[in-house]
Amino acid sequence: MIFKHRKVLYRVTFVLSVAAVFMLGPLGGTAPGADSSFDPAAMSDMSDFDPNNFQQPEGDTIKLGYLQIMSGAAAGNGELFWPVVTWVAHDINKRGGIMVDGKKKKIEILKGDTQGKPAAARKETERLCLEENVDLLWGTSGSHTAKAIADVAEEYKVPFLNCLSLSDELMNEKNFNRYTFRTLSNTTQWNMALSYYFSKRPETKFSILCQDYMYGHAMADAFKKYLNKYKPEAEIVSEDYHKLWLKDFAPYMTKIMAANPDILYTADWLPDGDNLINQARSMGVNLPIANIYITNPDTLASVGVEGTRNMIFCYSWMSGDTPQTKAQKKLMKEWHEQWKTWEAPYDSLLYIWPDFVVGQTISDTYWLFDVIQRTGTLDPEKIIKVWEDDVYKAIQGVRTMRAADHQAVFDMYVGEATYPTREVYEGAPYSEGYAGVHKVIKIPQKYCTPPVPEGLKDRVE
Amino acid sequence: MIARITPPAWTRWVLPGIAAAILLGYPLVFGTVYTNIFIHFAIFAVFAASLNMLVSYTGLLSFGHALFFGGGAYATALALENIPGMGLFPAIFTGGLAGAAFALIVSPLLNRVRDTAFALLTLALGQLAYMACIKLRDITHGEDGVGGFPIPDLSIPGVVSVSMVPAQNFYYLAIVILGICLLLMWFLTKTPFGSIMIGIRDNPQRVDFLGFNIPLTKCLIFTLSGFFAGIAGSVYALFNNLVTPDGVFHIMTSFTPIMMVYVGGIGTFAGPIAGSGLMTIIEEIATRYTTQLVLFNGILLVLVVMFFRTGFVGLYLLLKQKLFEKESSR
Amino acid sequence: MDPMTFICVTQFVHGLAYGLLLFLVAAGLSMIFGMMDILNLAHAYIFMLAAYLGYTMTGLLNFWAALLLAPIGVALLGMLIERFMLRKIHPLGHIPELVLTIGIGLILLEFVKWIWGTQSLMLQPPEILSGLLSIGVFRYPVYRVFIIGFSIAVMILMGLLFYKTRFGTIVRAATADAGMVGALGINVPLVYTLFFGFGTWLAGLAGVVVAPFLSVFPGLADQIGFDAFVVVVLGGLGSMSGAFIAAILIGLLNSFGIQFLPTLAPLLTFGLMAVVLSIKPTGLLGERQ
Repeated sequence: MIFKHRKVLYRVTFVLSVAAVFMLGPLGGTAPGADSSFDPAAMSDMSDFDPNNFQQPEGDTIKLGYLQIMSGAAAGNGELFWPVVTWVAHDINKRGGIMVDGKKKKIEILKGDTQGKPAAARKETERLCLEENVDLLWGTSGSHTAKAIADVAEEYKVPFLNCLSLSDELMNEKNFNRYTFRTLSNTTQWNMALSYYFSKRPETKFSILCQDYMYGHAMADAFKKYLNKYKPEAEIVSEDYHKLWLKDFAPYMTKIMAANPDILYTADWLPDGDNLINQARSMGVNLPIANIYITNPDTLASVGVEGTRNMIFCYSWMSGDTPQTKAQKKLMKEWHEQWKTWEAPYDSLLYIWPDFVVGQTISDTYWLFDVIQRTGTLDPEKIIKVWEDDVYKAIQGVRTMRAADHQAVFDMYVGEATYPTREVYEGAPYSEGYAGVHKVIKIPQKYCTPPVPEGLKDRVE
Repeated sequence: MIARITPPAWTRWVLPGIAAAILLGYPLVFGTVYTNIFIHFAIFAVFAASLNMLVSYTGLLSFGHALFFGGGAYATALALENIPGMGLFPAIFTGGLAGAAFALIVSPLLNRVRDTAFALLTLALGQLAYMACIKLRDITHGEDGVGGFPIPDLSIPGVVSVSMVPAQNFYYLAIVILGICLLLMWFLTKTPFGSIMIGIRDNPQRVDFLGFNIPLTKCLIFTLSGFFAGIAGSVYALFNNLVTPDGVFHIMTSFTPIMMVYVGGIGTFAGPIAGSGLMTIIEEIATRYTTQLVLFNGILLVLVVMFFRTGFVGLYLLLKQKLFEKESSR
Repeated sequence: MDPMTFICVTQFVHGLAYGLLLFLVAAGLSMIFGMMDILNLAHAYIFMLAAYLGYTMTGLLNFWAALLLAPIGVALLGMLIERFMLRKIHPLGHIPELVLTIGIGLILLEFVKWIWGTQSLMLQPPEILSGLLSIGVFRYPVYRVFIIGFSIAVMILMGLLFYKTRFGTIVRAATADAGMVGALGINVPLVYTLFFGFGTWLAGLAGVVVAPFLSVFPGLADQIGFDAFVVVVLGGLGSMSGAFIAAILIGLLNSFGIQFLPTLAPLLTFGLMAVVLSIKPTGLLGERQ
């Protein structure tokens, strides 16, 4: 009993101390040295926004090619980010568009179905570039399809915002091209942030359970590497890789229980992540699970308060129940208000708040158009010039586009789910029926900046 | 009765001549997007035709043909990535050989089963290849695949050297290679060997009694089919400059040519080619205007099986026959 | 109890539960093939449809009502497919059947996406089946115990149906010689339709039982479909007892593989299949091709 209390005490002291160390400066303050920043006051009244009925502008437009999986069993990917791109486009269009080449132009979005296959992604990108003459490309889930898109983007010199694929290799010296910009945290950033976070926690014994393919192994390897760097006393007590779309996690759970770790680390995405936590909890494995993609409110609610307690999330965008900046607070509230009016499929809990990947991609899309606005032209070479080394004060945090490898670097955030959160103000994010993130801890950029790939170091002077 | 007038000999060259002219002029008229769609169609026409050798001529339904296609694609991609100075034709030939080698390796196992068991065993082998490809990360780079390998120029030393990166140049290479493959396969069906294939489908016992070694013949058919599927995969690899397990070893890669054969018309040589064309057009229209590609494919398959069992080619022959009958009755 | 024994016993029960679940999914597929010589590639999609129906009905009524109603729903669908589609093309051989059932599967996939959307849904087992059961030092999830018991019950039910009822007698007779059974004045096509319905009913049961175990999403059919085929192929096409043994073997190989040979675990099933098929191409207990 005393033991248990001591653990609670540890945790409280820990959270308080970490919060004290990391809490950001004044909310909404201007970042010194930023080239530009997101202005929440400029955001349009979004009450007429409907993702099911996006108003494409007429006439001379800025064309954005939206490349995602839209058909087949994984079509949910294409659906998930449609409100993201249309939201940003609607907002900017309502402001009257962007001044490019001496003319105010609104944003038109053209869909390209990658089917989750590189060959189809390539073909669709080619069609968008050559037939529709898109000015910009936006995508996509799956590093292999992103690679196919990046190749075409380079061929036809169309800037490509990759805000959804995280493989380090995608931007290394072999695969780098000038037209592709990645704003999502890569494998290294993610694991540096988590490892640094764990260096401030008392736990020392870790179990790893990832998917048995390139991504799972890359994530686990990076985690081991940086955990060893930030917390040499940490010990990996078990390390397993399960096959994709695993049905039964029980044998792994028995193995993990026998190893008796303090933390279970997983990089699983859906449906594996959902099944992992569900089956772990049903077997009485109540370890804290450090994860990236188990953020679907439906899943969390189904696992319940007890099941979600102690889950550790890591992302480049995280609001918790108290959004970190004024801009974030405004976006959260505005989106949530509008969400109440949306019809299927966008009426589900998946879209209730623009948090995690949704928030991050909204922010990245705003950044893209901010760059276009400042460039004042759609000339790709000039866009590249403006975007390289750009420092942008985004909705949450400051983001810098490294010129050498076109990888955005920024602060990361880690949050521990403790108990169901409240609606702090009207429209504020809360977690009903599951433990949510109450305190968001910032991992400063300097602890999670990945090294520039060797061959790209002297790409720009 | 109308006496048939034999047309003059030169007319036999009219249709092929027109076809050749269209093929030659196609990329100049239609531009890059449609050129690439045509290359995609041609790759899958050859892939489906190689499957057709088994399905229509030998009566064996392979559910794992992606094994040979993917084997060819990976062999070419890995050869170009790892062997400096690899030529274009050796690379393509490597792909064909890999497809053939895979077929040769699995043929003793496949020889022992027929019918649905054959279909399921090939399905399992195809799936095994998919898993192994993801598992052998050090060689195949897992799900990220092999990409960005150098595409060699088409060069005859001292004479000419043409880059194969521009879509139009690649188009001519692809249609020549794939065209030769189709001609070879067609030629094969006209040889005595083709008759033995059909014999194995219709009456294996008789073929056996005639003194042909059935297992060995089947083994040869698998190997040839694997070779052509491998060539198709190889051209696919060069075309996309990226080979991934999801792209070439996935179960849908095995199902696609089956659908093409069936939609085009099973039991005919032209079937898979027509099927590839039809399904490419449907995919183009479906992805352009809707997000319902899978639904369209599903409905198409059900309709074809229920109402047009002879497929597109059968429908064409039927229409031709009807028109001809009308003319003769007039 | 020493830790190794504890782990082995636990992994054994894991393997048993998972194997029986696989058997439940594959039973209908194997049965329809054994009796009617139809390989139903839409089986996994029907299974997925049942999982979705189970999810919705659990929300509207409760889990037990879902377990009763959803399988009946998909069984009716199965009978319609048999009566109006498969029966017409059966004389044409296997290839049209395979292509048709792929087509039906793709349509069902789009159907569930249209009705339920693309995101994953998760269901918790009913109160009485949640939590952990304690037996000595072992604590085991009640729902997994339920899966073991339920699958065994279904197996016994199938045994009784085949060997103790008139329907079973007719079915077995029709498998041996359909013409002769028809000559006795029995409506064989109707028997076939009912039998196909029974096979899809089993897929439906499996779907509802899986819903609280795996998250329900449009990829569920692909996720579990291939495993069902492995069970059927390994067990021997059309052999129920073969499918049962194969399912248990795969389940045990899976859990012990994960415990002791972790890097090879994902390939062990294929290894087993390759070994068995090279020795006996018809599978463990299969007789015909």
